[in-house]
Amino acid sequence: MTARRGRAEPSSAKKGPLSQIPTWDAATGGVVLARLGPRPPLSFFTPAEEAAAGPLLDLLLARRHDDPPIPVLPVIDARLAAREFEGWRFADMPEDDEAWRRSLAALDEETKVRHDGRTFGQVTHGDRHRLLRHIQDLGSHDWYGMPAGHVWTLWSRYACTAYYAHPYAWEEIGFGGPAYPRGYLRLGRGTREPWESPPAEEPATETDC
Amino acid sequence: MEGPMSGKRWWRPATGTLRETLRPQGDVRARNASAWLPHVTRLRSDMRRFEDDDEVDMVVVGCGAGGATFTQRLAHAGWRVVCLEAGPFWDPEHDWVSDEAGSRHLYWNEPRVIGGSHPVPLGANNSGRGVGGSMVHFAGYTPRFHPSDFRTRSQDGVGADWPIRYEQLRPYYERLERELPVAGQYWPWGDPHPHPHAPHPVGGNGEVMLEGCARLGIRARVGPVAIANGRFGNRPHCIYRGFCLQGCKVDAKASPLITHVPDAITHGAEIRDGAMATRVVMDAAGRRATGVAYVREGRERVQRARAVAVAGYSIETPRLLLNSAGPGHPHGLANGHDLVGRYVMVQGAPQTAGRFPDEIRMYKAPPPEVSSEEFYETDPAKPYRRGFSIQTVSPLPITWAEHVAAQGHWGADLRSRMRDYVHWATLGALCEFLPQPDNRVTLADETDRLGLPVARFDHSQCANDDMLMEAAQKVMEDILRAAGAGELMTIGRYAHLVGGCRMGRNPEEGVVDSDLRTFAVPNLFITDGSVLPTQGSANPALTIMALADRAADRLVHGRVPEAPARKAARR
Repeated sequence: MTARRGRAEPSSAKKGPLSQIPTWDAATGGVVLARLGPRPPLSFFTPAEEAAAGPLLDLLLARRHDDPPIPVLPVIDARLAAREFEGWRFADMPEDDEAWRRSLAALDEETKVRHDGRTFGQVTHGDRHRLLRHIQDLGSHDWYGMPAGHVWTLWSRYACTAYYAHPYAWEEIGFGGPAYPRGYLRLGRGTREPWESPPAEEPATETDC
Repeated sequence: MEGPMSGKRWWRPATGTLRETLRPQGDVRARNASAWLPHVTRLRSDMRRFEDDDEVDMVVVGCGAGGATFTQRLAHAGWRVVCLEAGPFWDPEHDWVSDEAGSRHLYWNEPRVIGGSHPVPLGANNSGRGVGGSMVHFAGYTPRFHPSDFRTRSQDGVGADWPIRYEQLRPYYERLERELPVAGQYWPWGDPHPHPHAPHPVGGNGEVMLEGCARLGIRARVGPVAIANGRFGNRPHCIYRGFCLQGCKVDAKASPLITHVPDAITHGAEIRDGAMATRVVMDAAGRRATGVAYVREGRERVQRARAVAVAGYSIETPRLLLNSAGPGHPHGLANGHDLVGRYVMVQGAPQTAGRFPDEIRMYKAPPPEVSSEEFYETDPAKPYRRGFSIQTVSPLPITWAEHVAAQGHWGADLRSRMRDYVHWATLGALCEFLPQPDNRVTLADETDRLGLPVARFDHSQCANDDMLMEAAQKVMEDILRAAGAGELMTIGRYAHLVGGCRMGRNPEEGVVDSDLRTFAVPNLFITDGSVLPTQGSANPALTIMALADRAADRLVHGRVPEAPARKAARR
């Protein structure tokens, strides 16, 4: 792998999960490595929804300019387009695809009311942050026809699933990855396999993107 | 609490364990040769196939813990059995991956609606789809229920008494523990017993729990888990890769796909995958079941049978019965007393994590390692009835992120806590929530891809449930602190599903009797977790299998009155 950008050249490939790619079984390798490859163009989100979802996901995951390139928005888009939901929905919420559309529209609507007709994508980082904090604080109260807490868990579930499925995120947190058929030999507190690396250093304070 | 064992009994764990581990396995192999047969993927190509018009002795709906065990037992006794499974027939090497996000296909992802004051998420949490059912991705814990679980109403004034006693189930617990096989230390709680395989080595998370419990004087034990520790027949031992919840590619962890289906196939059963049952077909008068209607490859078909067993678990079994309304059964099959879909239970399963200065790396080794049933029984000094168990759980990154996010962390806060993943240890509790009639499955207005009404599951907690959740959290916090944890995080969640077609002594009390036969239809059985009247604080898989085993045993030996006469095998 050639250097990409900034601090995070995730795979030094001497240690960490990506150093173990040759030891993975074919089925697992196929599924995991596909996440490193190109993604199809967006097909679910409209441009207006994309403009709101992008900054929303960046904030929820505190994405930074020097983050490893982990796709989140395209992964969620593909998942919603394929209707890969979770096998349940709250009785007071629509199905996940509809819930995403309605909640992103509501996000723009709420921003317009507070910021002279500007959309969520058009206001400053600080304004967006305050708005999200407000929605989170609503808890189980209604927010544009849906309980705010249920909207919040919808957003964070999809965001976390997309981000922490990626091998670069595993390197960031020190997770060993698939380990099949190799398995683990060194169990117990304070022990590491020779190829396991410590979690990435906390980056210096900097504004999020 | 740990202490010198009284009197003459101190040697029992040692001799019991010795006797169990030294016993020959011939009877296991004669009863169920699955572990000694070629791999199920190879057996499948020569599997016997029945025609829809063949009137088989039993058609079973669902190939999970209950359905697969029932199928194997009947087939082994010479019955002609077809088992319909809505999901795929898995090939572990090609269909399963060592990856969280890539394992969503193991769950029941069809639409379902959840409501009530404490809605319970389904899907990944407590459902399965495919041969092996949810045991394909269960953690592997296989504790028995306690004798007290069978009479909570008369003993503690809550819940319900079962129509059978623990002693009637014990022989089935024992033989299933040998077939899975179960690994673990001698079990000191409930009905004390040894396990056929030795306990597994523990990882960082298990060490934390053992250390914390030891400091507080709380007894804790390694196991019991249905994971082979050492070779078992042709099955290999565990390699400690930690992906038990994504399906065991190694074939070390038990699921019916490898523990019962192989023997069923060699005894002439057909496991028909991709077959979604739509209704139980009845005769014109609505007295006897004549088969099951199902959709496979887009076509609706009917498998004819002399008897029907439904084993779709607590959501799909009530849904199928409610969708099978017809002459004589206007409100759903076997629902004359409005019991179908009621008394569905989940266990309160709060998860408490603690941060340690050293690296725990809880993802190494199986998540199920150490457990304690010290708080299982009713403590008269407490304001609540019944209790809870404590077990290690070891969430992988995505599940861990959801744990952190559920605490309200997001943004930089979330990322920074996630970066600390290797420093956290996590314990989970199973609290015995009480059966309530309004915690129930009904049919929603919306329909699925096949046009069938989908299930809606409403759930609310009662005061006793709330108190158990609090008490369990407190104990887990104490254990983690005693082991040296700094910061703690707890989230509320739920685990497992049972009930929905409970068994009882009479039709007013239950949908089925203790032979798992419906009171309403003499040749209709329910052989899954939905028949449990109460749930204890134990993981339900072993008990579901034991109940199905017992029902099959009584059926093939003609001990079920008015059972359909056994037909000689025509192979």
